[in-house]
Amino acid sequence: MTMPTLASGQPDILQEMIFGKTPAASEAAAWSDGLFMMITWFSIFFFVLLMGLMVYFTIKYRRRPGVPAQPSPHHNTLLEIFWTVVPSSSMLVMFVLGFWGYSYKIVSPDNAMELRIQGMKWSWVATYPNGATSPETQALSKVVDTENHIVTQGKQYPIFYIPEDTDVKLNMMATDVIHSFWIPEFRTKMDVVPNRYTGYGFRTPKLTANDTYAHQETGEVMSGRDMWIFCAEYCGDDHSRMAATLRVVSREVYDQKMIDWGVQLSPIDAGEKIWKQVCASCHQIDGTKLVGPTWNSVANADGQFGYGYAAELTDGSTVMRDANYYRESILDPNAKIVKGFAPAMVSYQGILSDEDIDNVIAFIQSISDLDPNADENTESTEDPESQAEESAGSET
Amino acid sequence: MSTLDANAGHHDEGSYLSGPPGMMARIWQWATTVDHKKIGVMYLFAVLTMFFIGGMAAMAVRYDLLDPIRTQTVETLNAAGDLETTTITTGESLKEIMSGLGMGKDLTESQIYNRAFTLHGAVMVFMFIVPSIPASLGNFFLPIMLGAKDVAFPRLNLLSWYIYVFGCLFGIMSILLGGVDTGWTFYTPYSTSTDADHWRVVLMVMAAFILGFSSILTGLNFVVTVHKLRAPGMGWFDMPLMIWALYATSIIQVLATPVIGITLLLLVFERIMHIGIFDPAMGGDPVLYQHFFWFYSHPVVYVMILPAMGIISEILAVHSRKHIFGYRAIAFSSLGIAGVSFLVWGHHIFTAMGELAAILFSGLTFLVAIPTAIKVFNWIATLYKGSIVINTSMCYALMFLFTFSIGGLTGLPLATLATDLHLHDSYYVVAHFHYVMMGGTVIAFMGGIHHWWPKMFGKMFNEKGAMLGMALVFIGFNVTFFTQFFLGTQGMPRRYANYVDEFQTLHQISTYGSWILLAGFLVHLVVFVVSLYAGKKAPANPWGGLTLEWECESPPIEHNFHHEPIVKHGPYDFESVVPPHCDPKEFPLPENGGHH
Repeated sequence: MTMPTLASGQPDILQEMIFGKTPAASEAAAWSDGLFMMITWFSIFFFVLLMGLMVYFTIKYRRRPGVPAQPSPHHNTLLEIFWTVVPSSSMLVMFVLGFWGYSYKIVSPDNAMELRIQGMKWSWVATYPNGATSPETQALSKVVDTENHIVTQGKQYPIFYIPEDTDVKLNMMATDVIHSFWIPEFRTKMDVVPNRYTGYGFRTPKLTANDTYAHQETGEVMSGRDMWIFCAEYCGDDHSRMAATLRVVSREVYDQKMIDWGVQLSPIDAGEKIWKQVCASCHQIDGTKLVGPTWNSVANADGQFGYGYAAELTDGSTVMRDANYYRESILDPNAKIVKGFAPAMVSYQGILSDEDIDNVIAFIQSISDLDPNADENTESTEDPESQAEESAGSET
Repeated sequence: MSTLDANAGHHDEGSYLSGPPGMMARIWQWATTVDHKKIGVMYLFAVLTMFFIGGMAAMAVRYDLLDPIRTQTVETLNAAGDLETTTITTGESLKEIMSGLGMGKDLTESQIYNRAFTLHGAVMVFMFIVPSIPASLGNFFLPIMLGAKDVAFPRLNLLSWYIYVFGCLFGIMSILLGGVDTGWTFYTPYSTSTDADHWRVVLMVMAAFILGFSSILTGLNFVVTVHKLRAPGMGWFDMPLMIWALYATSIIQVLATPVIGITLLLLVFERIMHIGIFDPAMGGDPVLYQHFFWFYSHPVVYVMILPAMGIISEILAVHSRKHIFGYRAIAFSSLGIAGVSFLVWGHHIFTAMGELAAILFSGLTFLVAIPTAIKVFNWIATLYKGSIVINTSMCYALMFLFTFSIGGLTGLPLATLATDLHLHDSYYVVAHFHYVMMGGTVIAFMGGIHHWWPKMFGKMFNEKGAMLGMALVFIGFNVTFFTQFFLGTQGMPRRYANYVDEFQTLHQISTYGSWILLAGFLVHLVVFVVSLYAGKKAPANPWGGLTLEWECESPPIEHNFHHEPIVKHGPYDFESVVPPHCDPKEFPLPENGGHH
């Protein structure tokens, strides 16, 4: 489709103020910015005209003692027809352009690469055509402050790699409530609804020399362009942390990632990957309290956590955190609620497979300081077991 | 001109504010009154109380957004010389306040924020802005402006006030039990699944359901009053434009509110009995709820704004002493807006509906912009060759033209499909509807309260103090909300307790603006309280208005008029009529006045 050009290649100062210094990521997005600027200039013209008249009249015809208001016509049919027709026809133009731009934005060619997007409280999972998913993450705020010895900041978000200069089609569905998949730099969003496929398309930009990012672990400067993905439909507690990064990279980097991520992982690594993708928005592994309890073995003000340790529940009873406890908590999360937490989790029945659940439990075991085979090896578990008993005893 | 002197005869009739001696007797008199003026004043007090509660929630929302929530891992050397890592969370400002009050121990900052913004939205929409102008100023002035003694069904009027209070109590109960986190829109399936074992959500939904009845009854009452109780000589086109606006509003209230009633009831059934209308797991459709919800909630946007437009027509005409320009165009555009408002609900769900529906709703949405634009042109044309006085209510009317125009014009990119895909559910939308709802309705409400304050309470207010409050509100409002347009276009989603670093500066400016705004409203509060206790006695017609309320005394007597008024001039005939109770020297007529 050929589109009339609305945006000039060089955004002016006003456009930079409005959309920020990062340019629109696709031609369709730039076109929509152009349309927005057109409407903005139209609005500025009429606003200045109307406010100018208002201020002028207010000053010129201010009340003077003993001076009456001057009679003037109570209506003027010609003038009124004029100021009905002008906005009407301007709005007709906006409507038609808006309709064009809408199709320009959401329709993608038949051969577009399909990315499956799954939205859930409170994370995004992208599945590539070869079935792989991304295990890479980075922090919300990347500031590292050496002076104050701050080493990491914020929660980890997944990074979705996509190749440059490629048509991408999103095929989206939610597993729990309604979400909305917004990539501000493509200027498009669409709701992600349970039990219904939605989607839109976009063409990724060609990378330029300016498009670089710092590698999340090594800090090495790499070629690629990072864009935020936000959830735009309110979905509960951590709605504001339901983010991800879309990383546009060269075709070679993308192909290599697809090969790497397609490799079979060990149960613990596979479990860690699922944790990062699905569980990390509510469960930390460093002792931090989020919506849900931390998974690593740690004792703090909120109690004792971790695989193999007893958990105190809201009803005052205690339960051993073993594989069956974790499995139940994944499939029927409200059956047992740890003291100090709200029943906020939804069931992952039908979302995580049995194998996924096994892998997650393997990962949870791996980050506990208790030996997973505690029952058989009495020597090494004596101490922690008595700890568990102690905490169980003190609660009654 | 009705030449009856309000001061002639019947001097024994006291003002509606006078009552029997004794505290309990006074309270009983007010609690059982069927006088539309007392009910209007009780509504005014009640809606302003809810405005205060909703406003405090808004302050909490802005305060949270001053700093993003950050968890930092810090490395420090401990006494033994080992490297120790500790985790610090910053930006949890609401949690700090809550724990200072000994509440919300089990809640995270995000959870507190989500409850605060839901509280702000639900209180402001259902308990403040929908009833605000019609129920308070409308109740007080609609019968007087028509020349009637009361509304058509005075007891029904009192009942609607009690239903309103009862509904508010449900909402307050829900808040006291811990509040809800559904957002004021109660979108399914989130609203049917969140906080599953608790009654709070049901209570809040029931509050909105009950408040709907209050709205329907008031609307019904007004429609009948306008049809049946106009004073002799007052034809449909002799009615003040405020009445036209309230009439259009009432029609929407009567027609649209039952739909939200049914929808909210379905929501309660879904939550308690899991009937599966909206639940995808049971074959229901969650987006269906959005259609039902906005089928009411879009028309109700015009319930909020049309009465404001009515106030603006009155203020501009009286304070510039000009006949309103294009009376019929303004009156018909009110009805036009009311009609088209039922056809545009889909623009709230552009990102959740099919392409064809989105295109149709985009086109229909532009239609509703046209009558609104016509009104603004007419208002500005009214100022031409006027005798314009600058006082608080006039400044609020001019401020309305400023902020409402911004609100209207920034709606254009939202009706335009291509640009809406970016702006939808972003801070741009937040800024846009605050410019319309607050910059429109609340600003006009403030203007209206100042315009009619002397009439309602018989006391003048301190003009300088009120002007100071007005200036602070103007500055604070624009600083708070203009920044949010930029946040939205740059990619900040709405309803976020937290945000990425690049948005912090704009969020901080917006929060500072909210403090100025608060200061402005506090100044107004002081001015009002001082006026009630120490204000100068108000003359019957301080501004020189020609509508019938200015023929009554200030405050009006129990039955409004000593004699039934007979209307002999139009509401805006400033060129030919000296306003009642006014000195012709202060309100001179043009030389050829009265001769055309």
